[in-house]
Amino acid sequence: MTTALPPRRARSRSEAYRQSLWLLTSRDLRVRYSTSFLGYFWSVLEPLVMAVIYWFVFTQIVQRSIGAEPYIVFLLAGLLPWMWFNGAVGDATRAFIKDAKLVRSTRIPHTVWVTRIVLAKGIEFLASIPVIVVFAIIFGATLTWGVLWLPLAVLMQTVLTVGLALMIAPLVVFFRDLERAVKLILRFLFYGSPIIYGLSDLPNGLELWASFNPLAGIISLYRASFFPEQVDATAVLIAAAMSLLFLGAGILVFRRMVRSVLKEI
Amino acid sequence: METTESTSAPVIRASGAGIRFRRNRTGRRSFKDLFAGRDRRARPGEFWALRGVDVTVHEGEAIGVVGRNGQGKSTLLKLVAGVMLPDEGTVEVHGGVAPLIEITGGFVDDLTVRENVFLTAGLHGMPRAEIVARYDEIIDFAELRDFVGTPYKHLSSGMKVRLAFAVISRLEEPILLVDEVLAVGDKAFRAKCYRRIDELLSAGRTLFFVSHNERDLKRFCTRGLYLDKGELKLDGPIGEVLAAYDADYGSVT
Repeated sequence: MTTALPPRRARSRSEAYRQSLWLLTSRDLRVRYSTSFLGYFWSVLEPLVMAVIYWFVFTQIVQRSIGAEPYIVFLLAGLLPWMWFNGAVGDATRAFIKDAKLVRSTRIPHTVWVTRIVLAKGIEFLASIPVIVVFAIIFGATLTWGVLWLPLAVLMQTVLTVGLALMIAPLVVFFRDLERAVKLILRFLFYGSPIIYGLSDLPNGLELWASFNPLAGIISLYRASFFPEQVDATAVLIAAAMSLLFLGAGILVFRRMVRSVLKEI
Repeated sequence: METTESTSAPVIRASGAGIRFRRNRTGRRSFKDLFAGRDRRARPGEFWALRGVDVTVHEGEAIGVVGRNGQGKSTLLKLVAGVMLPDEGTVEVHGGVAPLIEITGGFVDDLTVRENVFLTAGLHGMPRAEIVARYDEIIDFAELRDFVGTPYKHLSSGMKVRLAFAVISRLEEPILLVDEVLAVGDKAFRAKCYRRIDELLSAGRTLFFVSHNERDLKRFCTRGLYLDKGELKLDGPIGEVLAAYDADYGSVT
């Protein structure tokens, strides 16, 4: 009561949220890059190698009637967002476990433990966009007005991924098996989503059902930048609804479980 | 000073606070349990680590928490720090908390000392401009001037404790929580920490201090909380509380 505390502006909740979110996100990225020589290039190299493999298989070996020309651009437009989704959902399984000590000793808004993962992977995704630009130039794909859908695609994917991650992260703390189950489901989902093919390549009748996988609508929006005919309005609407549904469910699960998670960690 | 305490606003108020844990890891857990939220029954295989704790702490009080191991001392600190949530009752904390509870807590092995200072202080809510202003002071206090570029994992355990105390004690939060961690450092550093705690106390900070060392408790604290079997057995002047504890379990020192 004698010496006055140095005046510190009271921070609003959203300011506090943003500060801790940004600190943890940049920490995750820095750790990832400071411990490897290639650093940033890994986030480019990974999708690049995968794209080259699929491009080789589907244009040089198998005579393909799926997707659109140039196929490598078509492929990358699905593959890059997939890497974000796959990385974020995969890492969400370890959101609490990996940083147990930090969770035990630091009070930050609880959802930050999860959202920082989605943000870190999202930044890597944005950093990998030059890859597709380079290939579009090389293979002569023309950019269309469909590129205006890009922000919506990113938003929808963020909503979907945050929702799923909020659900998975606390559940894994109690059911460790889920970690491997998620990996398996992700691998299944890779082929189950229109990444190496387009939604319209599916047999008639299956298209609608496949749209209930929100990734279908979201990826079609990404592809609109170069292939506007890929956008499927029904699929996009279903994807938007599904994404919001997952977010709602994720918030619900997270809220109910966070108390037990903090004790268990 | 004692008279002003009762008139100043409460900074911490626990009412009927309780938290329960599972007794063993292998206990079966159903989905229903997980989603049950807060209800008042302790299910089989669970026990109350703390229950029915009512404490009101005013600004500037220095409180020593005593009790045998496993009687809920650290859990109480974690509830105040907000890193655990009570299963029943409430724990209200007005003002920020600087928690020295998990000594190597926030630090990241692969980042340098410098990066870790910015990360940990930031996560505890310190604005960046303030960290920049305090940075030299923190490093000097931790005596790590020559190691600012060293990855955290290469520090000795003594250095880690020094860094943690240096950062947390510089957070400038009104409430400081200290959980037995000071036992780790060497004698000279401990003396320095004690001086720092004295400084903070005379600046009107509120202290929550968990220790088994009677001398330390008497030195810093005016009020004591005696926890036994998850209940608050006694809340009074530190001398009385230590006497009661000694009477129950023999001398602490």
